[in-house]
Amino acid sequence: MKHVKSVALVTAVSLLGVGLVGCSSDEKKEESSANWTGKITIWDGPRWADDKENKYHWLEKMAAEFEKSHEGVKVDIVQVPWAELNDKLGVSLSGKSLPDIAPIDISGNGVNPTFVKQGAVEPLDDYFTAEEKKDFYPNALEAYTKDGKMYGVPAAMTVHSLLLNLDIFKERNVEPPKDGQWTWEEFTDKMKKLTYDKNGDGSIDVYGFSTYIKNGYYEAWPFLYMNGGRSLNDDATKFTFDSSEAISAMKALADLKAADKVAPKEMGSGDVGGTWKAFAKQKTVAVEPWATWAISAAQGEKMNFMVASYPSGKAGKPVTIGGVGGWMMFDQKEDGKKKVVAEFMKQLSATEQQVLSAKSYGTFPSRISAMEQNPFADNVQMQQAQKLTEQAVMLPRHENWKKIDEAIQQQLQLVLNGEKTPENAMKEAKSKVDALLK
Amino acid sequence: MKASNGLLKEMWKQRAAYLFLLPKLILFILFIVIPVFWAFLIAFQEYGYSGSKWVGFDNFIKTFESETYRVALLNTLKYTVITVPLNIILALGLSTLIYPLGRMSQSFFRGAFYLPTVTSMVIIAMVWRWVYNYRFGLFNYFLDFFGIPPQDWLNQSDTALWALIIMSVLIPPGVGIIMYLAAMGSIPESLYESAKIDGANSFQRWWRITVPLLKPTTLYLTMLSLIGSFQVFIQVILMTGGGPGDATETVVHLIYKTAFRDLEFGLASAQAVVLFIITLIFGVVQYRIMYRKGEE
Repeated sequence: MKHVKSVALVTAVSLLGVGLVGCSSDEKKEESSANWTGKITIWDGPRWADDKENKYHWLEKMAAEFEKSHEGVKVDIVQVPWAELNDKLGVSLSGKSLPDIAPIDISGNGVNPTFVKQGAVEPLDDYFTAEEKKDFYPNALEAYTKDGKMYGVPAAMTVHSLLLNLDIFKERNVEPPKDGQWTWEEFTDKMKKLTYDKNGDGSIDVYGFSTYIKNGYYEAWPFLYMNGGRSLNDDATKFTFDSSEAISAMKALADLKAADKVAPKEMGSGDVGGTWKAFAKQKTVAVEPWATWAISAAQGEKMNFMVASYPSGKAGKPVTIGGVGGWMMFDQKEDGKKKVVAEFMKQLSATEQQVLSAKSYGTFPSRISAMEQNPFADNVQMQQAQKLTEQAVMLPRHENWKKIDEAIQQQLQLVLNGEKTPENAMKEAKSKVDALLK
Repeated sequence: MKASNGLLKEMWKQRAAYLFLLPKLILFILFIVIPVFWAFLIAFQEYGYSGSKWVGFDNFIKTFESETYRVALLNTLKYTVITVPLNIILALGLSTLIYPLGRMSQSFFRGAFYLPTVTSMVIIAMVWRWVYNYRFGLFNYFLDFFGIPPQDWLNQSDTALWALIIMSVLIPPGVGIIMYLAAMGSIPESLYESAKIDGANSFQRWWRITVPLLKPTTLYLTMLSLIGSFQVFIQVILMTGGGPGDATETVVHLIYKTAFRDLEFGLASAQAVVLFIITLIFGVVQYRIMYRKGEE
């Protein structure tokens, strides 16, 4: 119950404005063609592996069950690596050959407004009663709502958190932050102690901290929020990353590498795989920020680690960024098929499936009923991460977000590279973003 | 009218040959000609999933006004202007060294240098990512050997594009070598013999006979290389993603992003058409200059 309360609190805190979920009629559409038969095409990225290393076993099982309960319906699964998902959808959209269902990455920001604008995504209000909608956390549902309509089903949530390699902490005799909470000063102090020459050859082998900067990824951003700065204002009409709060946080983050020398030269590059490898395989970085999928990945690596909050800055409270993954249905020509596809989406995002995903895939349920089952009862690290959901804010939602994001991330790379001051970088970003906000 | 009748007659006479060409021609029309025309049409539209709207030259105006497109074009030009001549010179130099060898050795080198051409650029890019790795890369290992501090090649604005250029130059120009060797084989030996009698040394024979007679091959390779360089993409998407900042943003990478990330297919088509026109201009100028020189 305690968990439920905490997550309920998150949702209240992390709403970007009140989630005005469109009230649809409770009556479901009368279907003239309820017995539709045919093929449903679903795309998905790899999820958790079974003992045969098959990362699609869950969806395959779901498809088989659905085919069994819906005679004459065939579910065709197309495997798509997460990194290629958006581009592949773009290609399919241009060729007007979209799948019936596609996932939205857990780190994502909900349904892509551009897809909705293009008329490629089906609203689902006819298939979810007001009662059913109530089971979703409001902020999760909000991420899939545009102009009062529900464009997709939120299936899982995530937050970014800091993962701490406790073996390195122990080796350097550094106390991990109490309850996973620390101020910026405490954080930098510990990072300095964790940075050292392990083999005595005169050069640093182990660094306190590292992260990467890449379009569409937000591991580094909560640091930039710590003094109260945000990328855009609340209603996403004004660029605000050039505020003194944001600039001072950017400078602090860049100084980890430039002045304090507690981060490797690669910090700020776009190398996701290399950054993870340094933390989980080579063990050359003590602390890195990741989305919650990394918790189950680190557990798989048998790492001795803990989850901590981002350090709190001048704003006084730690902050993190959340994401909402889910499913969306693409343009359908037949009502009968639409109904069947919606049923399959419901099955995929049902309470028991969300509990399973929470336990196996390191995600938080988007359904209150799933969270009530306490899926993290025996998972200390996920419990730690769950506490962070109270600090979560969502990214701004704007139809040009991907371009806005790129304009900012490009400049952030240069800041962390030491090629530009935060002021100059954000001035440049502002000139591009202002044009995109018009 | 007469001429076209003559042409048709001639074609009818050679109908068997044309029949053999037909499958390829159909595929060419289906997968090249029609999409190209379609792209030209889309460039004048706001093309969307649920319908398109004719917008005239709007997409072209946006392209010309775009700072990002300008940066991408400049990066692409820089890449092209440096890599094309170097690739040609390298192909010519290596062919000159390989040509006098015996048949067995020549075959070996031909194969060895052609191998990267049939290797997927994706694989090559992955290998080069390792070569440029700040911590374990081969490049920094060599720099260290000479006491030069290591560089983060792909993650610094002032080295990232150069890293892609160096990579492109150091991939052996397999096609160029094969073509130059074939062309060298067709130069009559008598020309070299008479030059020898006239007292020309080996460098003079190469410079005065080989190089001028290879002009048509050089022209063809330059065109091919030019078009390829203007379309540099795989290296960018796999190695730098256009960064850091926009240091390695190239036109085709930008077109790709505009189309499949931003879903602005009309604008992306206009960007592609502009690139096509620029490539065409370069190609024509190149052809004029080299062809004239060849004629002289």
